[in-house]
Amino acid sequence: MYIVHGTWIPANEQGFVQNGAFYLWVETDTALHNSHHRADKIHPRQLVGEALYTFLMDTFHLQEKISGFPGAPSNKLDMKYFLLPTAAERPAPSFELLRYVEEEPPTEFELAPWRIQCYQLTDLIATLNTIHFITLNAASDFQLGADLLFWYQYTQAFKEIIVRDQYIPAIKARTRASQSKSGKRINRNAKDGYELHPGWEILSDVYETNIQQYIAAMPAVCAAGMNSADEASALFNKESLLRHFSECLLRDVVASASFPNEMQDRLRDTLLFECINPYSSRWSTSSRLLRKATPQEIEEYRGWLSWRKNLTRAHRNAAFTLCFQLLEAEFMDIDHWHLHFLVASQQDPSLKLSLNEYWDLPPKQRTRATKPFGQDFEKNLLLALGSAARIYPTIWEGLNTDRPSDCELTLEQAFAFLKESAWVLQDAGYTVIIPAWWTPQGRKRAKVRLKTSSRAPKKSSKAAGTSYFSIDKLIDYQYQLSIGGQVVSEAEWRQLVNAKVPLVQFRGEWMELDREKMQQLLEFWQTHQGEGQGEISLMDMIKLGTESDDLEWEHDQALSEMLAHLHDKSAFAPITDPRSLQGTLRDYQRRGVSWLQYLESLGLNPCLADDMGLGKTLEVIAHLLKEREGIEGLPPTLVIAPTSVLGNWQREIQRFAPEIRTMVHQGSTRLKDKQTFVETCQQHDVVLTSFALVRLDEKLLHALKWHRVVIDEAQNIKNPKAAQVKSILKLSATYRLALTGTPVENRLRDLWSIFNFLNPGYLGKEAQFRKSFETPIHKDNDQDRLETLKKLVEPFILRRVKTDKRIIDDLPDKIEQKMFCTLTPEQASLYEAVVKDVEEELQNAEGMQRRGLILATLMRLKQICNHPAQFLQDGSAFTSTRSHKLERLSEMLEEVIDSGESALIFTQFTEIGGALERYIEHELHYNTYYLHGGSSVSRREQMVHDFQNPETEPSIFILSLRAGGVGLNLTKANHVFHFDRWWNPAVEDQATDRAFRIGQRKNVFVHKFLTMGTMEERIDAMIEDKKRISSLVVGNDEGWLTELDNDTFKDLIALRRSAVME
Amino acid sequence: MKQFGRNWWGERFIAALERFTDAGRLGRGRSYASNGRIISYEISQSAVTAKVRGSVNPYYGIMTAPTYKTTIIFRTISPSHWKQVISKLSSRADMVTQLLMGEMPATIEDVFAELDLYLLPHSARDFESDCSCPDYANPCKHIAGLYYVLAAALDQDPFVIFGLRGLTREDLQAELAKTSLGKILADSLVKEEIEPEPVASYFTRPIRESDETDSANHKEFWSGARRLPPLPAIPTKSSVPAILVKKQGDFPPFWPKAASFIRVMEEIYERVRIRNPQMK
Repeated sequence: MYIVHGTWIPANEQGFVQNGAFYLWVETDTALHNSHHRADKIHPRQLVGEALYTFLMDTFHLQEKISGFPGAPSNKLDMKYFLLPTAAERPAPSFELLRYVEEEPPTEFELAPWRIQCYQLTDLIATLNTIHFITLNAASDFQLGADLLFWYQYTQAFKEIIVRDQYIPAIKARTRASQSKSGKRINRNAKDGYELHPGWEILSDVYETNIQQYIAAMPAVCAAGMNSADEASALFNKESLLRHFSECLLRDVVASASFPNEMQDRLRDTLLFECINPYSSRWSTSSRLLRKATPQEIEEYRGWLSWRKNLTRAHRNAAFTLCFQLLEAEFMDIDHWHLHFLVASQQDPSLKLSLNEYWDLPPKQRTRATKPFGQDFEKNLLLALGSAARIYPTIWEGLNTDRPSDCELTLEQAFAFLKESAWVLQDAGYTVIIPAWWTPQGRKRAKVRLKTSSRAPKKSSKAAGTSYFSIDKLIDYQYQLSIGGQVVSEAEWRQLVNAKVPLVQFRGEWMELDREKMQQLLEFWQTHQGEGQGEISLMDMIKLGTESDDLEWEHDQALSEMLAHLHDKSAFAPITDPRSLQGTLRDYQRRGVSWLQYLESLGLNPCLADDMGLGKTLEVIAHLLKEREGIEGLPPTLVIAPTSVLGNWQREIQRFAPEIRTMVHQGSTRLKDKQTFVETCQQHDVVLTSFALVRLDEKLLHALKWHRVVIDEAQNIKNPKAAQVKSILKLSATYRLALTGTPVENRLRDLWSIFNFLNPGYLGKEAQFRKSFETPIHKDNDQDRLETLKKLVEPFILRRVKTDKRIIDDLPDKIEQKMFCTLTPEQASLYEAVVKDVEEELQNAEGMQRRGLILATLMRLKQICNHPAQFLQDGSAFTSTRSHKLERLSEMLEEVIDSGESALIFTQFTEIGGALERYIEHELHYNTYYLHGGSSVSRREQMVHDFQNPETEPSIFILSLRAGGVGLNLTKANHVFHFDRWWNPAVEDQATDRAFRIGQRKNVFVHKFLTMGTMEERIDAMIEDKKRISSLVVGNDEGWLTELDNDTFKDLIALRRSAVME
Repeated sequence: MKQFGRNWWGERFIAALERFTDAGRLGRGRSYASNGRIISYEISQSAVTAKVRGSVNPYYGIMTAPTYKTTIIFRTISPSHWKQVISKLSSRADMVTQLLMGEMPATIEDVFAELDLYLLPHSARDFESDCSCPDYANPCKHIAGLYYVLAAALDQDPFVIFGLRGLTREDLQAELAKTSLGKILADSLVKEEIEPEPVASYFTRPIRESDETDSANHKEFWSGARRLPPLPAIPTKSSVPAILVKKQGDFPPFWPKAASFIRVMEEIYERVRIRNPQMK
């Protein structure tokens, strides 16, 4: 694993101009071979030389750039030093690397210098963006350090200053030092004159806000760079470092722009020439930089100073903001528009005074009236009006008086004002008030309107059940011309198009005419009008409605109701619980099923993305039951899920809907003959299978048309080129349904893949999707594209999160769920071997010995159910392929972390706690804590504090059931996992309460893992029974199990083979 | 309102002279002025006095460059007229504002015209000129050169011409103070002297400081104490470029060229934004 770090290091020179450069370095999980690194202070975990160079070039495609000018950045390898946390004479791994190495973060350390080979980076804004973009989509064998992410994001934010021209040419004066005869510098004195250094200055409120926000978030390592080992013993002050960086960056950005020779010639002998050539002019011999400035140059400098003073004064203005309000002309008098001048208090912008009113006041009252607008009101007012007039000269015409209050505009001028000048004034910091009909909300726009009507329902075919429509071509439409939502005749339209003015009155209100666009729309309308009625599919209609701006829709009642329905998911009326459901649905689940039914009835395939724990499986089961009410002989539904959850599906169906005939297509005993397979399937309602088998048994699964294909954990199908995914896409089914618990709308690749399965073509081809959504959203952070995408997918995705108001009301504070897993064949054979041994020993055991045997057996079986490695204690691999329980836990943790939540995991075995910690840290790479009997009190407090800190990323906290102790407050977690079971509900509940305490504002989800077909499942059933028969009290340990007679015990531990999954 | 070039006021002064002066002779002054022949000049009330270096002319036996004394004296406008002018001027917000910003108002002559007066010379009777050189014709090269120097001075400070036409600064202020708008201008006429503001370093100097909290916690050292602010959306460019510098008007005092400073800045900003590999 490589962690790519990088930071800005100012040059070690104390001259007037202190340069700096940006350096990348790569931390690795494997140490350098040299053993002498301690003495030489060489950082042991770094890429060096050829390896560093090759990695950076190959991964990020960096362009070589060598500059001949001193101070200008070049690409090159260079030795640098960093002050890093050091303990026991070794630098601690970075926070990112910790998850990949067997090392604890040091609790105490000092900062010591380490030598690291770096690569100097150029063109920072663009290069950091490229590096970030490549990393987003790259394989996962490297990642970016928080330091590099910081600089990436800061440079992106800095772009705004460049894009909005918020910097000015500047001159910096340096007092010259007199030289004594010996060449020593003595005191600096104005009489020795000045050197003048041209450059740039940032003048921007955005910049100042950015600096403050970013220094608060800057990792200390960003300030840790040095040029030599003994340069310093302290880090840089963050603000000064960030300002130094920004100023150098601005100089470099200007320098990298291209200015043609013709322009250079025009600018020669001016300040600007030196400003745009910062590197080349700086050291040229004719430069004025290194000598005393002449009196003329000082005069020029003073001129600049006064200009800058006025500029900052205008920039920071008085205590008021100047406002301009455009009042429209009367319809009969179209050339008399008025632009009124007002002032608004900066402290309270709602406090406004129009200049008209102001001048009308008797002079004595004026002073009082302008109190909220600051001192020197009239002077500042004139200066503000003057500055505004420089930008929008028409204002001068309103100043031709001693009481300036407004200016008059002709219709053409008013239009130009609305079109452009208003924005310019607004950008310049003035407030502009325009008539409502010009605002985006109030604006009347010319559009082509599609008048649509749903076709009368066809006789629904048998297979489609209660479909309202057949799936394609179901909506008729007609084109009309429309303005501001009102239908317009062709004649009226033409009249408007032929008007000679840009603003017209249309049915009593002013509106803008975009003649060119109206002409286009007219032509479009004319060519399509002859076609009479058209047809469009519902899906295309939704898509077109979201993406096209020039279309307007008039839907008939049925269609508009339908669309309203699709967009307001909360309005779905809950279904009544299916008659044969063994249990009760929660209200939001009833609404969920209702939504599934509705979408399928429209021929739209839905994605159910409710948060983990809200019961998606049960919603699907209820949906299956509901569609069978009154209908016989529906073809089977195929459910594809990860192996680790197949057992859970099976159990849940058994429990809630025993009448649904379920078949598990899994394992070596599965049906292999096509004909038998098809026939057997047809006698079932649900066929469960795993992702892997879809490809292996492609021929079988493609041999029949399914009623529905359900994909559980649908984020698994993100690679469209994988053979597995191709097989899934080829399945033939009337309906398709995707289930996922991850916030799918934020992961664009997942989103596209899921839609490619559900509603192929809706989001375009993959390359198309990448171009129109993924790249703009990820690379440019394009919010408009993201908004469009969200609107596109919104009708198809139902995602309710635990924190939704309506969900919370439906949920108890604590939701307990059992998670059924199966044994792997390895676990099963170990399990059977133990059972076999015990059966023999049990015959001869008596009294204490028998009790001991029983408890020991239970312990060993629990270990096997957890993981073979725990039982074998042979140091073999703790991998998820050997235990479905571990596999399922990993999957669920991924959903927890992806939703930005935290979890507790309880186990009664310290060896499992340790193994889980390593596994979660090093395989899943989540922030992990582990508290066990051996943790010191201070360590324990530190961990709890870190975990609870709101600034800490979502994390996993592992606790040993016994060491957990009371009094721990871990309310940040809202998921509690019981990896193995303590056969005593009271102990488990107490543990659960760590997360479920006062101060917990979220619902807590408790997931209890159970392996199917084993004693875990049966003991659980016994406890459930006993809970019902409350007379039987389960003791506070597991001793009650030893009271069972031999046969009962044997039956308890016997393995039900059918529950083993390969 | 049309955009005025850097030297519009000075140019108008020259143009005013051209109407009653030999254009050829006048034109010779332009190079004289730009070649540094005007050694020094001084404005005292309505008179401009200059020392001008003449040419070597062996034909006339002039072997070393002589220095001539050149004088121009303007005809003054009477104090009562000035009163009327100022009172009109200070009732116009546009005039006051432009003078406040150090510019000659574009329509200044309108105010004078209303009273049948002229601010700029209107006829040969409006001023007298004299030079100690042997050339008997008027204007000689030296006088013409001084005209151009004067034109440049007029561009720098709009009040110079007021002084030459007989209005003292004291009278100006006293008259202005009579109206509320005028008073604003009067108050700002007391000029502040701008002193150089030397800085210790070209860029902000990165300083080292030990901050205990930075080395307290391993995680914070590497990841920061707070999360990063949300990633900004793509910034959209302003609807009009160079707004910041536009507010201060064109031709700032440090800008020597006749071409518009604002146009040049627009071009620079645009190139930095667009013609730039870093901004891709």
